[in-house]
Order: sequence, then C-alpha cells, then structure tokens
Amino acid sequence: MSTDVLLQTRNLGVRFGALQAVDDVSFEARRGAITAVIGPNGAGKSTLFNLISGSLRPLTGQVMLDGQDITGQPPQRLLAAGLARSFQITNLFFELPVRENLRLAAQFVEPGPWWRGLRHVRTSRSAMQRVDELIAQFELAADADELAGFLSHGQQRRLEIAMALASRPRLLLLDEPTQGMSHADTEDTAQLIRSLVQDGLSILIVEHDVDLVMKLSDHVVVMHQGAKLSQGHPDVVRADPAVQAAYFGQEVQHA
Amino acid sequence: MDWLQFVLAPQVINGLSIGVAVVLMALGLTIIFGLLDVINMAHGEFYALGAFVAVALIGMGLSFWLALLVTPVLLALVGYLSERTLVQRVFHSKDRHTLTLLLTFGLGVVMEDALKIVFGANPLRLEAPIQGATEMLGLFFPHYRLFVMLFGGAVIAAVWLLVFRTPLGAMVRAAAFDRHMTASLGVPVHKVYAATFAFGVALAALAGVLLAPMYSVFPTMGRDFVFIAFSVVIIGGMGSIKGAVLAGLVLTQVQSISSLWISPVWSDPLLFGIMVLVLVWRPQGLFGRLGHA
Amino acid sequence: MLESALARVAPASATGSRPNDALRWIAAVFFVSALAFGLIAWAVGDVFFLRLATEALIYGGLALSVDLLLGRTGLLPLGQALFFGLGAYVSALVLKHWDASFWLALGVAIGASALAGLLGGLIAIRSKGVYFALISFGLAQVVSKVIYNTRELGASDGLIGVPAAQVGGGLTSAVPLGFFLLVLTLIFIVWALLSLLMDTPFGRQLAAVRGNEQRLAFIGVDPWRVKLAVFVLAAMIAGASGALYPMLRGFVSPELMFFQVSGNAVINVIVGGTGTLIGPLLGSSLLTGLRSVVGSWTEHHHIAIGLLFVAVVIMAPRGLVGGLAPWLQARLDRRGAKDRI
Repeated sequence: MSTDVLLQTRNLGVRFGALQAVDDVSFEARRGAITAVIGPNGAGKSTLFNLISGSLRPLTGQVMLDGQDITGQPPQRLLAAGLARSFQITNLFFELPVRENLRLAAQFVEPGPWWRGLRHVRTSRSAMQRVDELIAQFELAADADELAGFLSHGQQRRLEIAMALASRPRLLLLDEPTQGMSHADTEDTAQLIRSLVQDGLSILIVEHDVDLVMKLSDHVVVMHQGAKLSQGHPDVVRADPAVQAAYFGQEVQHA
Repeated sequence: MDWLQFVLAPQVINGLSIGVAVVLMALGLTIIFGLLDVINMAHGEFYALGAFVAVALIGMGLSFWLALLVTPVLLALVGYLSERTLVQRVFHSKDRHTLTLLLTFGLGVVMEDALKIVFGANPLRLEAPIQGATEMLGLFFPHYRLFVMLFGGAVIAAVWLLVFRTPLGAMVRAAAFDRHMTASLGVPVHKVYAATFAFGVALAALAGVLLAPMYSVFPTMGRDFVFIAFSVVIIGGMGSIKGAVLAGLVLTQVQSISSLWISPVWSDPLLFGIMVLVLVWRPQGLFGRLGHA
Repeated sequence: MLESALARVAPASATGSRPNDALRWIAAVFFVSALAFGLIAWAVGDVFFLRLATEALIYGGLALSVDLLLGRTGLLPLGQALFFGLGAYVSALVLKHWDASFWLALGVAIGASALAGLLGGLIAIRSKGVYFALISFGLAQVVSKVIYNTRELGASDGLIGVPAAQVGGGLTSAVPLGFFLLVLTLIFIVWALLSLLMDTPFGRQLAAVRGNEQRLAFIGVDPWRVKLAVFVLAAMIAGASGALYPMLRGFVSPELMFFQVSGNAVINVIVGGTGTLIGPLLGSSLLTGLRSVVGSWTEHHHIAIGLLFVAVVIMAPRGLVGGLAPWLQARLDRRGAKDRI
C-alpha cells in the first residue's frame, strides 16, 4: 500500500437482518487530504462510518489504517491507533462544563502509567494545555465554564469536533459536522476543516451538504443503497451520470 | 414407571401450578414495564397484598371464589390510584427510570410494613377451597392444583388474546411504542398508563390469591416470590409477553424437578445462575427488544 | 419540572462549578458535630448513644459505597449489603478463630470484599440500568440465602460471641468512646479519600460514565474497566464498614446481607443527597438515629422511614445536602471569586 494512503477499506460489508446496509465497499482515504462520503438518504454512509470507527463489527471485509489491520477493534483501541470521530447526533457530556468535556477528551494525551489517573487533574499539564489550545482554536472561550447542554447548536457542533480532535489523531472522522447549522456557521466550519488539514490532519467526512463537499474535499466517494457508486475528484463525480441519477432520481439535495 | 408416577409427576404438577402463578406475576411485571417503562419494585408487595386481602375477605364471610374475583378488582383500584398519585409525579423527569424504581421500591417498603401493622407478622393459613385429588392416567392430581392450573391458564390465555387480538390491546401496544404519537391521536395516554399499571398489579394479586391456600401468607412473602418473577421477566425479555409465559413455565419446571436432586437452598442460586448465563448470551433476554432498559 | 435524583448538586448559576466549598463546609460541620457528640456522650457517662452513633457511622460507610456507585457512576445497587455482610462475617471469623486483632480482621475483610467485588462485578457490570440493579439484588439474595442455610456459619442465628478487637495501645472495640473515635476517624479518611478521588482523572471518568457512557470509548477510555474498578472499590468500602459491625455488636447474622440493609442504604443516600458523599453520611446518621428512636416507640419505624423516602423521591429528589449545598455555595461565591478547574 502506498504511503500516501492512510485509511483503506476492503470489501467492507454488514447486514441488518435482510438488509445489506453496506455492500462490498472498498475505498481509500489519502494522507493529508479531505475525503468525503456522500450519497442519498439510506445510502449507508453512517453505517460505513460506524464500521470504520468501531461502533459496529463488519460481517465481511477489512479496515486498514496505515497498513495496520484495525477491523472490528473497539473505539478506545482505534483512538490509540490515531483514529477519532465526531458524531452526527451531538454526543457530548451535556451535564458537564465545556472545559470538563474537553479535559476528559484531552486526558488521553497525558503521558504516564495507569495510576496517573489517581492524581489531581491539576497535575495533568499536557491535558490542561491541550484544553486551552482547543478552547482558543474553536472559539469557545466565552462559554468555557458553561454546561455543554446549554450551548447553542453551532457551539455544540464545534465542541463535538474539538473533542474528537483532543487526542491528536492522525485521521479524523467527521459525521455530518454541519448538521443543522446555519449558513454562516457552515462556512466557519468549512474554514476550520481546511485549517485542520493544513496542520497535517487527514479527514474523512460524511456530509449531506453536497455543495459544501464539492468545495471542500479532495476526493469524493459516492454511496448508493449500501454500495459504492462512484469515486474520484469532486468535478469528476459531479459529472458522473450514475451519480446524478442516484440523486435526482430521488429528492434533490440542497445546500 | 413408579418413579415417574410417584416422584416426577407430582413435581411436574406442582411446578405447573406454581408456574401458572409465576407467569401471572411475570406478565404483570412485563406489561407494566413494556408500556410504562417502569420497574415495579413493589410488585411482590401487591402479590402479598392480594393474598392478605383475600384472607381478610374470607374472614369476613365471603367464599373463596368470590374473594378470588373481588380481590384483583380491589387491588386494581389500589394500583390505579398509586400510579396516578405517585408514579405519574416522577414520570416526566429526565432520570425517570431510576426515580420510578426508587419510588416503587419505597412504596414496597411502606406496603410491607403496612401489612405487618394490620395483619401482624405471623403467617396466616388459608384452607384450600377444594380438597382431595383425582387419579387420571395413573397420576394423582390434587383438585386445587388442578384448578389453579386451569384457571390460571385461562387467565393467561385471556391476557394474550386481549393484548394481541383486540383493538384495546392494539391501542395499548401502540402507546408502548410511541407515547407522543398515540397521545396526539386522541388516546388518553395518562389513563392508559394508570389502567395498565392497575391491570399489572391485579395479575400479581390474582397470583397471590391463587397461591394463598398452597402456602402460608405472611408480610414478606412478596420479597422472595418477586425474585423469581423478576428473573423470569429478565430471562424472557423485559416487555415480552411470550417471554414471560415461556420462561415462567420452563423455569418453574426446572426449579421443581431439580428439587428432586438438589436442596431447596440452591434453588434460587440455580435460577440466578441461569439468569446470568442468559444475559451473557443475550443481554436483552430471550425475546426482549434491545434498547429497552 | 422535577429534577432527577441523579442530578449532581446542580449549581444555582448556570455555570459548571460544583458546590465543593459548600460541601466541605457541611462536612466540617458534620465531623466536628460528631466529635462533639461523642465527647459529650462520654462525659455524661452514656454508652447507648455512643454505640448507636458508632453504628450510624458504620452504616454511613455502606452508604458511601452506595453513593459511589449511584451518585457518582449512575449505577443503582440494590444488593450492596452483600459486601457489607461478607465483611462482617469475615471479620467475625477472623476475630473468633484467628486473632482478635482489629487490623487483621479489617485487612482480611477488605481483601475478601475486593475479591468478591471482582467476581460480582464481572457478573453485574456487563448490564446497565435496571438489569444491573436486579442482578445486584439477585446476587445478595442468593448469597444471603446460602449463608442462611449454612450450619457452619451459624445458619439463621449467625455467629455470636465475637471477642472485642484489639486495636493497640490498650484500645479495644469494647471501649465506647475509643472505638467511636476510631470509627469516626476511619470514616473521615474514607470520605476524604473519595472526595479527593473525584478530582482525579479516574473520578472524573465516573461522572462521564454517568453522563454519557457511550462516548467514553471514543475518548480512549474503556467504560467497562472504569465500572469494574469502581464496583470493586465500592465493595471494599462496604466490606470494610461491615467488618466493623461485629467489633461493635459482638455478633453477625445473615440479616446483615438481607435486602433491608441494602434498601436502607439506598434510602440513606437519597435522603441525604445523592452524589454529595457527605449527604449519605448525614442521611445515614439521621436515619439510623431516627430508626432507633422511632423503633423504641413502635415496631413500625419502617413505614415511617418509607413514607419519608417516598416523599423525598417525589418532592425533593436531591435530598438534604443536595438541596442545601447549592444555596450555601451561592452565598459563599458572593463573598469572592472562586477558582474552578
């Protein structure tokens, strides 16, 4: 496998009862690039994400991260391998303050043996530093002590991404990060994602917002009814008649 | 052949009569959970209350048969009131699973002590309304146990029909599935909940009345019996009627027959062990739906 | 809108600060009052109330173990008395048949509870919510039944004639004031350690389990391990508390494992204030005293406590300290800015 490729899925598949939710999907995500997975409703994008990120065990196929087989590994092992994800349905610790949410996520970067977990949180300098970095980067300073549940939707979505980023992953999986966001917020998030890649991160993103995806990504994978329909540069995919049929054959997707 | 006739068969018959009562109780529990999402920790106390009320009614001169019919109705009323005045109050809070559990737990404590106050801590005995036994196919069938099996079985069948074959049952199942949707269709959801709770505890009370002549009646009788009922519900799957019936009948048979070889002390541990194994294999129980509890 | 019993002491303001200062104040008041109570009781020559207070503290330890699970990790244990009773039996056996040493009995009891906690935890931890509660209940039910029927352990009568435990320097568990102070110190140490634990990464993970267990794996923490660890810790605390019981009363019986004890502990926690650590100690003290006092008038103190509990669950689910602390914290905050982690 070329060193360009960070994530590779081979013949990934899973079924729920009679429904083949993901059907023999193979694709690659390159290092330092933004790879997007799009497709009409029910295409299996979220299921694919769940297969890659350890929420779901695949029936067939493999997932390779930088040459390492990570198929079916639980999420905490994937984090150690450098793979982190955010969630489509905001999945924060709503009863805890923003700062604590981030600290929990950042604790991962704190070096030391397991009994490190028994010293006061104040002494986790690396983690506290990371928290401050993230608060600055994601513009959450004003509400850092607010309970996560009280944040605006846009802020919560940002916190979602920040938490996924806290462990300094190599590959970041973003599950519909702009879901429910206003146009302005969506723009800001797009900027943020671009800046993350400039810092050397690789991103795999599932999105409904096709326009956003076309502007943002280097490589697009289109799914339809569980299978991979098409892939390639955004312009190539956009012009693909099969893709158009899949989308326009159903409801038209708006930005 | 003798062994079958004189040792095994009585155990099976015993197991069936207890089994029917266990199923009734488990049905009540699982229906309350299936619809209200409430774990009724006081279920055992409703069972005990049913037995005590029957004893009281009979003491006042009613026949056993009348008490058998009247007691569940009375207990249903108590259940309805409990649900409306107590359970409803914590129903809408965020941590309502824990709160309702704690609430019904507290209710159970109060009920158990209330029984102690009113009836005293000493066990009471109730005469079986029909004595004697019949011999059929070479097996002895004590008349009362036969009655319990038939009557209980009939009630279980009736519940099944009610839930799965009537419009009322359909409405109840719809409400279990999606509360808000059903409410917006004009169904008085609050009343349905209270009525379901009442129905569930009435089943427990019925079990109490049925078993009263077979065992003694004392205030803490609910505690032990509810353990079996809960185990059955967990093994069968919380909210599953089919699970309650199957698990109830099978497990009581297992307990009954195993008592031939192991001391009764190990009967509960055996049941517990089975429950743990089932949960390891299928965390939602045999027929339960994942995502519940 | 009713607040949940599991709401940690929610701050009066919308910010995330926990009322730590208020809790420390309340704890200070509690421990100082307990000390004063003991000294006064001793001065007037009383033994009964001193013993009762010691027993209240012992149950307080059990309540702490329940709060660790319920208030902090969001797991409702309905069978914690299993470990309490186990610790009591182990302690009694050590004192009777091995050596009447306080430290030995306590040590062995803690060890036994840790082991039992590991075994019980492996069974119970895989389940959530209601299933956990029922498995915990079932475990205690099953083990207590077995003990009830084991003649070697005294069957339904339990073990009597447990000698006083030698602590050292002439102090034994037969000395009312001395033992009271020792138990008070132990409970204080456990409370203090648990309070400190809450500000460690591990302690914070417990809150995370309660809030959103699913997310934990995605930030690199295996929730199963966290839950098992806290379950074992809680078992050890319950066992240690139980170990003190035969030292105080001279006997143990299977009743110590019965549901009543587990249930009372949960009631103590809820009434005192779930998740506050000091609340359960307070609740335990108050309710043990109440049960004894009301129990001397009538046999039916359970119904009184039961009604109180139901009322608390419906109307004041945060409990005594749970309601008091935010108010107190707000007043303390007004006196100056506080650092928050």
